[in-house]
Amino acid sequence: MRRYVAGRLLQATIVVLLVTTVTFILVHLAPGDPIAVALDRPSVTEEVRQRYRAEFGLDRPVAEQYLRWVGNALRGELGFSFSFRRPVADVIADALPRTLLLVGLALALSFALGIVVAVLQSERPGGARDRWLGRVLLVLYSVPDFWLALVVLIVFAYRLPIFPPSGIVDPVLHDYMSPAERLVDRLRHLVLPVATLTLLATAAISRHQRSALLEVMPSDWMRTAIAKGLSRRRAVRRHALRNALLPSITLAGLYLPALVSGALLVEKVFSWPGMGLLAANAIASRDYPLITAAVLVTSVAVALGALLADLASAAADPRIRVG
Amino acid sequence: MSADATVPDPIDGGIGAHPMLRALVRDSRTRIALVVLLLVALGAILAPVIAPYDPIAQLDIERLQSQPPSAAHPFGTDPYSRDVLSRLIYGSRVSLAVGLGSVLLAMSFGIAVGIVAGFVGGAVDAVLMRFVDAAISVPRLLVLIMVAALWGRLGLVPLTLLMAGTGWFGVSRLVRAETLALRDREFVLAARALGTPVPRLLVRHVLPNVLAPALVAAALSIANVILLEAALSYLGIGVRPPTASWGTIIEDGAERVAELWWLTLFPGLAILVTVFACNALGDALRDAFDPRQLPRGSSDAAFASEA
Amino acid sequence: MPRLPRPLRAKPARWTHVALAGLMLVACRDVQQQSATAGPNDIGGTMVVAQPGEPATLLPALQGQIIERQITDLLYDRLAEIGEDLNTVGDKGFRKQLADRWEWAADSLSIVFHLNPRARWHDGQPVRASDVRYSVALMKDPALGSPGLPLIGNIDSVAVRDSLTAVAYFKRHTPEQFYDLVYQVSIVPQHILGNTPAGQMKTAEITRRGIGSGRFRLARFEPGKRLELVADTANYRGRPKLDRIVYVPTPDFNTAVTRFFAGDADFFEQLRPEHLAKIATDTARRAVPYTTLGYAYLALNNVDAKQPGLPHPIFGDRAVRRALTMAVDRRAMLRNVFGTYGAPAYGPFPRSLPAADTTLPQLPYDTTRARALLDSAGWLVGPDGVRAKDGRRLEFGITTPVSSAARKQYSVLLQDAFKQIGAVARIDEVDMAGFMARNGDRSFDTILELYATDPSVSGFKQSWTTSGIGKDGSNFGSYSNPAVDALLDSATLTFEPARTRVYARRAFETIIEDAPGIWLYEPPSVAGLHKRIRTTPMRADGYWSGMADWWIPAAERTARDRIGLRPTP
Repeated sequence: MRRYVAGRLLQATIVVLLVTTVTFILVHLAPGDPIAVALDRPSVTEEVRQRYRAEFGLDRPVAEQYLRWVGNALRGELGFSFSFRRPVADVIADALPRTLLLVGLALALSFALGIVVAVLQSERPGGARDRWLGRVLLVLYSVPDFWLALVVLIVFAYRLPIFPPSGIVDPVLHDYMSPAERLVDRLRHLVLPVATLTLLATAAISRHQRSALLEVMPSDWMRTAIAKGLSRRRAVRRHALRNALLPSITLAGLYLPALVSGALLVEKVFSWPGMGLLAANAIASRDYPLITAAVLVTSVAVALGALLADLASAAADPRIRVG
Repeated sequence: MSADATVPDPIDGGIGAHPMLRALVRDSRTRIALVVLLLVALGAILAPVIAPYDPIAQLDIERLQSQPPSAAHPFGTDPYSRDVLSRLIYGSRVSLAVGLGSVLLAMSFGIAVGIVAGFVGGAVDAVLMRFVDAAISVPRLLVLIMVAALWGRLGLVPLTLLMAGTGWFGVSRLVRAETLALRDREFVLAARALGTPVPRLLVRHVLPNVLAPALVAAALSIANVILLEAALSYLGIGVRPPTASWGTIIEDGAERVAELWWLTLFPGLAILVTVFACNALGDALRDAFDPRQLPRGSSDAAFASEA
Repeated sequence: MPRLPRPLRAKPARWTHVALAGLMLVACRDVQQQSATAGPNDIGGTMVVAQPGEPATLLPALQGQIIERQITDLLYDRLAEIGEDLNTVGDKGFRKQLADRWEWAADSLSIVFHLNPRARWHDGQPVRASDVRYSVALMKDPALGSPGLPLIGNIDSVAVRDSLTAVAYFKRHTPEQFYDLVYQVSIVPQHILGNTPAGQMKTAEITRRGIGSGRFRLARFEPGKRLELVADTANYRGRPKLDRIVYVPTPDFNTAVTRFFAGDADFFEQLRPEHLAKIATDTARRAVPYTTLGYAYLALNNVDAKQPGLPHPIFGDRAVRRALTMAVDRRAMLRNVFGTYGAPAYGPFPRSLPAADTTLPQLPYDTTRARALLDSAGWLVGPDGVRAKDGRRLEFGITTPVSSAARKQYSVLLQDAFKQIGAVARIDEVDMAGFMARNGDRSFDTILELYATDPSVSGFKQSWTTSGIGKDGSNFGSYSNPAVDALLDSATLTFEPARTRVYARRAFETIIEDAPGIWLYEPPSVAGLHKRIRTTPMRADGYWSGMADWWIPAAERTARDRIGLRPTP
């Protein structure tokens, strides 16, 4: 167990280093020196320019610049956002929790939904229900994330104005609402983005759940359970499910990158002010420090999420614990 | 019973008679997928013949812009009075070219890395796989966003290379696992005992046996690349105007998505159908090759990060 | 009275580059049916403004974007307010604001301003003559880096005679000296800002508190979320009719429109043609058109960006510039982008300017003549259909700001128009900061400008004379014609408006013939407004000028109007 955790920690560290390195290389390979471009604008005061140059040691050798960059990034010093005119770290501190909320809710809901679908499918593998559900899931699995979000937006916010099309709360009235009304306001704004992301994630996750379930099906104790007189359905629900849940936690870690990619696009469509919208706006305003930092922070968050998932499943699974 | 029975060794026995292929042909998913992909490919190849208009011609900017679907323009026109159907047909060229080109490159590289890592093992394997494990957990979209944002809109070739460069991690891991399993199998050991040089061994005995999982991976990968191209375009960093791609058509209508719904609907459906076909083909291939050896979980997971 | 030459005014790109799509300088004349004026009960209500963008500074002397100007205009006062007719000569038409009255010295080199004794800053302190002195001195301080600094070069200094009397001294007597002071300088509080060095104002937190003397005061400013103004109930000019105005920044144009039509916002400043059909059938919202002082054109760079001083290899040739102009069907493009609501640009001026003349002869849309012109200029069609001369292809970039949907659309249309005559245009999308940087160092082949002029004709000297070629000028294409220089000089030196117009017209005519730019459109400005809100006449240089008198009839209030003056949480 200790070795496993150590290995896993090492891997997470490699991810962080890899991402910072690649980011550094990309920024330095990019044409026209984006940092210089970012600095060379009227809104940037000389003071900020100097501080930035010193911070990143722009006149130093590349190797030293690299070490500084990594050092700064690891300490959370991510530079200055020119479009927000605030330190990048502050901007991200606002946005990251909103993305985590979105991703967290979608992950939880899609796991619940995915398990239900997978159980329905694996009760009679190859049966009509299994095949039809499989096709529906495959369609959902093939939908472009942002396109599904756009369709949901057009239908449920424009054509049938049931839910608000954008934002996290009513921009004006929210502050003047009672606590109960505020909660309702927040939930109403959550519905469309979370529902979209949940649909997208369910498609991927229940495909996993199904194969995980089928994998444990033929094992000895399943045979025993059925031999003892449990119906196949009850055997699935009682035993197989419990055993298939464990690998699912690992899956959460594996799926995190895809889920986050989806969340970024869904955020853009619903103007959900998280990391995705931040990145999209940073692209539009060519705010390079913000773009690189958004990529960096999101990647690290994903790596940490995966690490947590793996550690959790390791803690729960005696097989890994022993090994 | 030898476990070898489940793994075909293409050197022995003709592939035509193989039960795997029969299973594949009998699978309805295969047939649907092949029909769809054939149609898309035909459309791409015959675009100049079947497209009713020049995809970048502005037909009449004063009277024909942003027209909803009609008899003359079944999929409507865009804000520049270009025919959306024609752009869609030509756009399939971009999607397929980037999809096929990048996946071909990514697969070649991924297979090479996987075989080397799996066969050589030791420190080489450890380093390569640590790198792959790390790279696979970075959302691919983020890397693409950063490159496209820093370099500006990309041309077709750089886009293909970029997709390839970020798309080989999954397959290399898969191939490595296969190779590891093969390394100690009888026919490989036998070949080694006979003094077959390693390169020849790898090409003749290992490579054919890892092609099956790689093929599954390729089908799923193409689907991913098509989705990524569309996402990049939607974010405003896709291929350069006035080139038509499925993503850029959507982008042209993104500002006014509620009014110009046909610019979102038709390319979206084109993407959906094509991606569905690729995924269905991937599923069918996997089930045919060996459902036990390649459960959906493992290969999906290998590509999850590349979505 | 001696007529001294005006100093050349280096008018920088100040509120002239519209920072975001859809934000544009606006002009007057609301065509709505004005309902009866507000009754005593029609006080109160909240107006929510959806806005793609938000201010970076709330200090008037630092404002450079329309949204910044709009907010600072509501928070701060000037000594006097320009009239509806935008007269800039002398003090005719100006109405009192912080100054109750003013007197000119006999030599016209100084003006005495008597401040309104009831005027108070939002923190309750009285407005003093020393604040006037401070405001002028601050704006003139090079350390501040005010974009408006070159506009007030003729103001020598301000002296304090007593706490309510300020005397402004000018270097020369000019037609627009009064305008220079009262229009360009907003009065800011010395007791709030005085301890902050001018060089630190850009980043100073204190400027974000927005303490002024305007009829609205700043309730809160949370970047990315909202900027909220509330009525200054004790204001010396009377409390505004509305309780509050909330600006909600949106990440893009589309979200702003969506918010407006969804009822989350009451006002949106620029509707597009396709929204007008929708709003016509909307029972809760209406369209409010206004005219603007802006005009958009494709500036053709007359000099080589890579080797400044040398003529541009393509656009240095007048014949090529004329040919490219003739390749563009400006009317069709206008219809494509703006439908029936666009107005063409007839030259380097907006129609609403007194000196404008829409009858000037235009270069025709004539691709045959365009091709012939290029042929005779030596640009011949090559085997690939692209023209070339001396081994150089007729290929160039169109720089356009990524945030402007209209200009992005124009760039694709222009690309196709140029292709028809054998020229290849690359579209080069850049962000607003990059756009302004390229404008500044003239590093472009062609660039899509949306330029809002100053109410004064002198603004044209900045954009179209030799003196505007430098980095601080707005002559982006480095166009130079001595005849135009002389005509515009004459136009600004005369104290007679009729002669100003004659000179300006002749200058414009010459510019159109020289084709340093392709005149495209005047931004059609149609705001969307919730029907319950009544407006007052909108002034040419800012529709918001009368916002403090916009009102909501008591009977038509909605939930958010009933928030009242409850303190903000």
